[in-house]
Amino acid sequence: MLKVENVKKAFGPVTVLDGVNLTVNPGEVVSILGSSGSGKSTLIRCINGLEKLNAGKITVDDFDVSKPKELAEARKRSGTVFQLFNLYPHMTALQNITLAPIEVLKRPKAEAEAEGRALLTQVGLGDRADAYPAQLSGGQRQRVGICRALAMKPRYLLLDEVTSALDPEMTSEVLDILAKLAKDGTTMVFVTHEIEFARQISNRIVFLEKGVLLVDLPTEKFFAADGGLAQPRVAQFLSKMRKD
Amino acid sequence: MRLDLTILIPHLGFLAEGALLTLEACALALIGSVILGMLVAIARTSSSKWISRLAFLYVDLFRNIPFIVQLFFFYYGLPEIGIYIDAFTTGVVALSIAGGAYASDAIRAGILAIDNGILEAAEVSGLSKRVTFTRIVLPIALRTSVRPLGSVLINMILTSSILSTITLNELTGQAKIVASDTFRPFEVYVVLLVVYAALTYLVSLGITLLHRRLNRDLQEQVS
Repeated sequence: MLKVENVKKAFGPVTVLDGVNLTVNPGEVVSILGSSGSGKSTLIRCINGLEKLNAGKITVDDFDVSKPKELAEARKRSGTVFQLFNLYPHMTALQNITLAPIEVLKRPKAEAEAEGRALLTQVGLGDRADAYPAQLSGGQRQRVGICRALAMKPRYLLLDEVTSALDPEMTSEVLDILAKLAKDGTTMVFVTHEIEFARQISNRIVFLEKGVLLVDLPTEKFFAADGGLAQPRVAQFLSKMRKD
Repeated sequence: MRLDLTILIPHLGFLAEGALLTLEACALALIGSVILGMLVAIARTSSSKWISRLAFLYVDLFRNIPFIVQLFFFYYGLPEIGIYIDAFTTGVVALSIAGGAYASDAIRAGILAIDNGILEAAEVSGLSKRVTFTRIVLPIALRTSVRPLGSVLINMILTSSILSTITLNELTGQAKIVASDTFRPFEVYVVLLVVYAALTYLVSLGITLLHRRLNRDLQEQVS
């Protein structure tokens, strides 16, 4: 279980997360919606330990990310895919994927590479294993980024606006893969602006507004008139996003 | 006066000995200064205030003292307090220390230019600091710093001629002897010009190849 309890985070005088509570059970797909600056990405960065909490507690399968000794275990259980891919530019697609399994999980190189190639094949990049990031398109890079996270066999996949830097065609390449992962039962925390897609794959939708978690509802309920839409801020956000 | 290189033929072996010594000293100093440069670059980017301060002090100190003064201090000054080091070792150490100060600048710039997101990706995947540094930070930093590093190394080869002032008869030292033996400084120094130019050209060629190899993913854009 991934548990966020009363988390507060401020950057200087600016409060970004103000008492957020969230629980993600294995097998669930939880999408986090909210306008830019609402704290969505910061929440992900708190879960994977890139930001220190000011208050509250985050545990990944009972490992507390605020405790240095437990952070390593917590990180083994979660994999992050970034908005700007953040691939290692000097390594091939395959090397990007196998580095952590070999160095952190101490997997034999041949095994890690075989698994890496299998992952690349799954995302339709079986023939680009030896390409460098600079030789790949944005959509291809992000698919490598997803493989890199999956190679660590995480229990929770954290996706931080993974399609925001892609054009619509590349976005659909990446979303197709996420849909497949969701169908296979991968647990995901999905920060996104792709509302329709979130609606299709999520079990639950969470709405953040100015660092406060306003709504946390099952997907159907979120889009129902007596559910999430009853919240004026959610209704406003959804109608604005649909117009764009 | 006319250029007659044939008068140097009897002295070629003697000059080659000097050239070999220059090569040896430069090769060792090259390794020394790159290793030192890396360590100091790490120290300068360290989060520990004292370590980074110390590293900055080293760089500022050795960049602001003429090389010949450093060299004389090591070779003629240190024996006064009981530290004797032979000329070759002194030369290599002095070149490494001076070169290391400049090399650290080039490497540090490469490290600072690395996109923070890449480091975050390494961090969340659980890579240790050591692995992150050796497998990610250093190789990416070298991609950009290999060219400025090349200039530092070339400058070091040129500076190595100063080692002749501490009785180390490397290329320039031997050439001085031949010039005074033959009374033909013109020919001798013509040869010296060509040999130094060839040496540094080889190094810059090597740097270009290394740069291409490190940036092989960007082949089209770079070359």
